[in-house]
Parts: sequence; C-alpha cells; structure tokens
Amino acid sequence: MHEQDSSQSGRSCRPNFSLTHSRRAVVHRSGIYLRSSIVHVAFRGPGVAAEFVVDETVGPSCVDVLTDALPVRVDSHHIERRVWFDTHDWRLFRAGLQLEQHLRKRESWLVLSNLDGRRISRQPIGRTAVTPDDLPDGATRELIGVRALLPRVVATGPVQVLSVLGPEEKTVARIVLEGPTTVRDGTPVGMRARVESLRGYDKHAARVCRTLDAIPGFGPAKEPLFESVLRAAGLHPRSFRSKPDLEFTPRIPATQAFAGTLTQLREIVRGNVDGTLRQLDTEFLHDLRVTVRRTRAVLKFAHGTIAEDIRTKYAVELKWLADQTSLSRDLDVYLLGFDDLVSHVNASGELEPFREQLTRHCKRAHAALNRALRSERFAALLDGWQNELAVAGPAERPVIEVADDLLSRAWKRVAKRGDAITDDSPAEAVHDLRKRCKELRYLLEFFGSLYGADARSEAVSELKLLQDILGEFQDAEAQRLSVHENAVELANAGTPAATLIAIGRLEHHLQLRQDAARAEVADRWHRFNRKHNQRLFARMVTSR
Amino acid sequence: MRIVASYSIKGGVGKTTAAANVAWLAAESGHRVLLWDLDPQGGATYLFRVRPKVKGGGEALVSGKRDLHDAVKASDFDNLDLLPSDFSYRNLDLLLDAEKKPTRRLGRLLDGMADEYDVVVLDCAPSVSLVSEGIVRAADLVLAPLVPAPLSVRTLDQLRSFIDAAKGPAPDLLAFLSMVDRRRRLHRDLTEQLPKENDDVAATAIPMASVVEQMGVRRSPVVAWARTSPASVAYRSLWDEARLHAKV
Repeated sequence: MHEQDSSQSGRSCRPNFSLTHSRRAVVHRSGIYLRSSIVHVAFRGPGVAAEFVVDETVGPSCVDVLTDALPVRVDSHHIERRVWFDTHDWRLFRAGLQLEQHLRKRESWLVLSNLDGRRISRQPIGRTAVTPDDLPDGATRELIGVRALLPRVVATGPVQVLSVLGPEEKTVARIVLEGPTTVRDGTPVGMRARVESLRGYDKHAARVCRTLDAIPGFGPAKEPLFESVLRAAGLHPRSFRSKPDLEFTPRIPATQAFAGTLTQLREIVRGNVDGTLRQLDTEFLHDLRVTVRRTRAVLKFAHGTIAEDIRTKYAVELKWLADQTSLSRDLDVYLLGFDDLVSHVNASGELEPFREQLTRHCKRAHAALNRALRSERFAALLDGWQNELAVAGPAERPVIEVADDLLSRAWKRVAKRGDAITDDSPAEAVHDLRKRCKELRYLLEFFGSLYGADARSEAVSELKLLQDILGEFQDAEAQRLSVHENAVELANAGTPAATLIAIGRLEHHLQLRQDAARAEVADRWHRFNRKHNQRLFARMVTSR
Repeated sequence: MRIVASYSIKGGVGKTTAAANVAWLAAESGHRVLLWDLDPQGGATYLFRVRPKVKGGGEALVSGKRDLHDAVKASDFDNLDLLPSDFSYRNLDLLLDAEKKPTRRLGRLLDGMADEYDVVVLDCAPSVSLVSEGIVRAADLVLAPLVPAPLSVRTLDQLRSFIDAAKGPAPDLLAFLSMVDRRRRLHRDLTEQLPKENDDVAATAIPMASVVEQMGVRRSPVVAWARTSPASVAYRSLWDEARLHAKV
C-alpha cells in the first residue's frame, strides 16, 4: 500500500480503515525505492492512517473532545514553524517526497516524508537553512544533484501530539493536532487532526480513525496538509515546467502555435533570472541558457510565420543574451567537472592554481552576466518578447503544414551533413552536423504533439544517441582550447612548472577524449541513418 | 547497517539497560534503530511496554516462515522499533542448530533489515552457546558490561577468547564497567585501572543509581526521562565511545 504514489491531486484522505504493510520490489540501498520517475520509500516511521479537518466549532475544545472519546495522553504542545525545502524544479515533490524543517523553541528537526506524510526519517538539525549536505548519502541526495535546496513555503502554528494508549499504557497510535496554521505570503489553513499508525499496531490506528470519523466536527481531509499549505501559498509544483509543454491540434494557425510557444519560453526565462543573479545553483543559468537557445530555434522556424522585421530584431537580441551567458556557463561546467577531470591525470595538488584561476574567471563572468541581466536592454527584451514577439499575427497556414515542412527540411539537412562526414572531415563539419541535429531535436520537441507519441519518442531517443557523441566531441574540443588559453595565462603569471606540466597532461587527456569521440562519429551516424530511422521520419510526416 | 550486541557471559550485569539506553540514544541522533530482544526473559520488551510475543515464536523467525519485518513493533519513541522477545527463545539454540550454517543464521536474518535500519541493537541472553556465537558473528561491535569485581578481568579474558574463537571476522569489543558504586574503593580503583590497562575497556563507567533501577518502574530508558542524571550522562558518553567503535 505505502509504495503507491499519493501525489494525485484531489485525492481524498478519508480513512479506508484497512491498513496493511507490504514490502518492496526494487530497493535502493538507502531504503528508497526507485521505480519510473517516482521515488517510493520503505515504511519507516509512523504512517499516516488518515487526516481530518477539524471544524472551527470543535477547534478550541478539540483535546477535551478527544480525551472523552479515546484513552489519550497529551505528550507535547508547542508552536512550530515548518519550512518545506525543495529544489527550484520541485525534484523532491515530483519524486513523491517532502522535506521539512520543524523549528520549535529549543529544538529543530529535519523530517523527510512521503507526500501523504508517511515519515521516512527524522534527524536533529541546526536552526540555519537546510542544505543537501544535511541529508545522509543516498537516493534523496542523488535526486537533488547539483540543485540547491530552497525554502519553498513556511507555515507556523500550534502543534499538539496526543498518544493513544493501549494495554499497559503503550502508545498504539498518535493523533497530531496541527493549526490553525499561518502560511507566509498565503492564506491560513484550518485545524487538522492527523492519525499516525505505529508499526505493528495498525488495527489500533484504524479504530482511532473510525472513532474520529464519528465525532461531529471531524471531517476527512481532501488532501494532505502539505498540499493545502502549497495551495494556500499559491504554489503549484505540478505545473512547473523547465521546458515548454506544448499540445497543438493540427489545424490551429501556426501564428497561434508560435505565440503560445514563445509565451511559455519567456516565462521559463523569467523564472530562472533570479536564481541566476543570486547564483543559487548552476542549473538556473543552464535552464535560462537552454531556453534562450530554444527560443532562437523557434524564431528560426518561424520564418514566414512571424513578421520578418520582428523576427530579425529579436534574433539579434536573443543572440546578445545567449552570448552573455556563454562564458559563465562554460566556466560553471568546467568547475563542476573539475574534480572528475583532474582524477584522470592524477594531479590534484598541482592543478589547484588552475582551479583558482577558473574560479576567479567564473566570478568575473557571473558579475558581467548579472550586469547584463539587470540592464535596460534585457528588460526591454522581456517586455518586447511579451508585447511584440509572442503575439499571434493574422492566421495563415495551419501549424501542421508548417511543422511538416520544417521537419522534412531539417531531416534532409541532417542527412546531407551526416552523409558527408568521413573519418577525415574537419571539426567544423562535425560541429555543423551537431547544430543541425539540435534543430531537428527542437522541432521534434515543439511539434511532437502533432505526431504519434511512439514515433516521436523513438525518433528523439535515436537522435539523442547521435547527439551524445557529437556533444562529447564538441565539449572535449571546447575544454581543450580553454585549457590551452588558461595555460598561457598561467604561464605569463609565473605559475610553477609542475602546474603547467599537469595542465599539459590534462590537455592531452582531453585530446584523447576528443579523438575517441571523433572515431565513433561515423559509426553513430551510420547507425542513426539506417533504413529503419529513415522510414520512421518519413512516416512521421506522412502517416497522419 | 551496523549491529551492536549488548552481551555478557554473566547475567544481571546491566546488558538490557545498556541496550535500551544505547538504542534510544542512537534513535535520538536520527538513526533508524531496531532493538532485538533475544533474551527469553524479555527485559527490554517489558521496558518498552511491548507484549513479549512473536507469532509462530522463535521457530517461525529462525526458519524464515515468518518474516522478521512482520514481527517488528514500534516503540513509543521516534526512529526506534523493537523486535520483541518470545518465551520460545529459550530454545533458540536448538532452533538454530536445526538450520544449515547455524552461526550465520542470525546475521542472514538481519541482512534483510538493512534497507530499513541504520543500527540494530541486540539484547542478548547471558550464555555461551550457539546463539552467542551467532550474535558475535553477526555483530560489528560487542558491548560488554562488566561488574567491578576481582573476577572482571577474568570475565573479560573469557569474552576475548570467545570472540577470537568465533568463526568469521571478529567484531570489535568494547567492555565497560557497569553498576559502579563510587563509594567503594575497589570500584573506584577498577574504574581507573581497567580502561588504562585495556584498549577494549571504555573510559566511561555506568554508575549504580536508583534512576537506573527505576527504569523498570517507569518502563522507559533513563536517558528519555532523566536526561541530566549522572547515569544518563554516562550512557551518553558510552554511546559516544561505542558509535566510534561500531562506525555508526
């Protein structure tokens, strides 16, 4: 039972009074189940048997009402501030988890639970903001990855814990009374009673649920407290998108489809500006940059759909924005992968001056980027994007015709460049093929809803295999050139010879990586260009 | 998952109180803890107010007919679960003997709990038996209370020999003086000497205290309700030493 994802909206928390424990199929060593995109968690601490909304009329005398109805003892009564942490892209929520810091007068706890409140772990923690390092190693930390944990919502209110006593005064269930809760920047949430079942005493919890259900003023909660708090704060994690979520019907005007796409892209850029400025984590800049790249691709595809003067104007502005982000992102990537890179040449100590130089450059690059993001030019770009660019013009061709044309042409362009690649082709030819592949990938993403889901996903995964090797080649080349430039700078600054020799080894390693990738390009191309894929792309355009 | 066995050849030396307090302290620091009361007398089970009964008894658990997970009961404390005692544990030797590789059986059973618990504390019955061998084989740390008496050193030697003779990798041993009455000169002397002369004797000694005796009345670990008492302070200090040895 507890392995099931409970993140479906609108789910009722009405008790079913039939609690069972079942166990797992696939278990990660940290005790967290990984199956599809949902992280399922082993039963650990108290489970939630049911949540009840407590009527305002009962609220003040709630403990008395419960004492009359059940053998309970008040274990604690305190004011608690709860801060829910998650990443910007709601990685924990999307994995079916919630991470809370409970702050009381003299203590502070970090609690990891399922979305329905079933507790996975509870550990003491300081009163400062939570970081991923506060979590034990394991699947949850891996899930968070390079993202920062951010306080997403804060709620404060009274919490009373009542133990339901069984034979020999053993606690056999708990009732946690929470609220009324004040939500920062949101509306209040009324009083709740949460019945927690304890392992080995499920029948008792079910009995408590039945009793509460029969008390006037206690009604089943429609959703867990966390979801109510999120709603009260106006947050909607399920609607978060890091890339446009596009659903087109074939006959809608292309102008409308492009306007909708550009509107979504603008929102994603806007959503990543603050995190980029504050450098909360490196993914904000990454998402911002990728979204700008996608937008530039959309503008290119919009030839003949968006007025040419507007298209040209914003192509220039978006190129300017993309250029502003390049250096910072390159250096971010460099520093993120630095330890891994260094491990290949066995010279961590000698390369410290190199890391320090990269860090200095990275700081400068981010400062320059911040100036750009605070500039009037960027503000004007965002304004114009909304008021000028993402506005549907007069309807002409339906989107399906435009998509068919673009896909056919993009496929032909990729095929032409790919066929021309030999083992002796210059790096520029490989780079050009990579750019054409990216265009094709973006087209599949933007217009995917117009084609069969299976064909689209197969096309994307085939294309991805090719893109991976092209990306590896390109990344190794860019890093090698950058290593070289940095070496020159370090040499001019009188850096010890040991460092320069180690950098030489690093450059050599990158050259080997690039050569290995290069050697694989032709093979991957032939794999991609096989008859099956040719038919797949042809079918996508003709089989509707 | 790390396994700490509270074990002694002798009875009535403070194994159960040590197991209960250490388990509570491990749970308090955020670890997910399982306390397995292997003593048919069920002292730890009584302390935590749990019914000393396992469906199918020790036979069902040892043979695998009943999953260990299904026998677990929550304690009244966060992060701390209990695998209760059962009177049939008095025949645990015979039950283990009926299994293949009997000294590895307990360890194998506990392997199945590794996804749920960070620390398992075993409260063992006083004996030298197949069960004890299995416990020593499964444990990462044997936490052994010693009463301060002239025979303590001999008991410690016997324990070392027993651990050394056990099959498989030997667990770490951490003996500690228990039920120390500082009014007695012999107790004071042994408390000073033994840790100095033996690397495997903890610097911490647990005092003889009425609060420890009251655990049986309150039915709760002393560290939970008399946090600043000398006994609680000593158990905290003992756990600090033990978790370093057990690499918790």
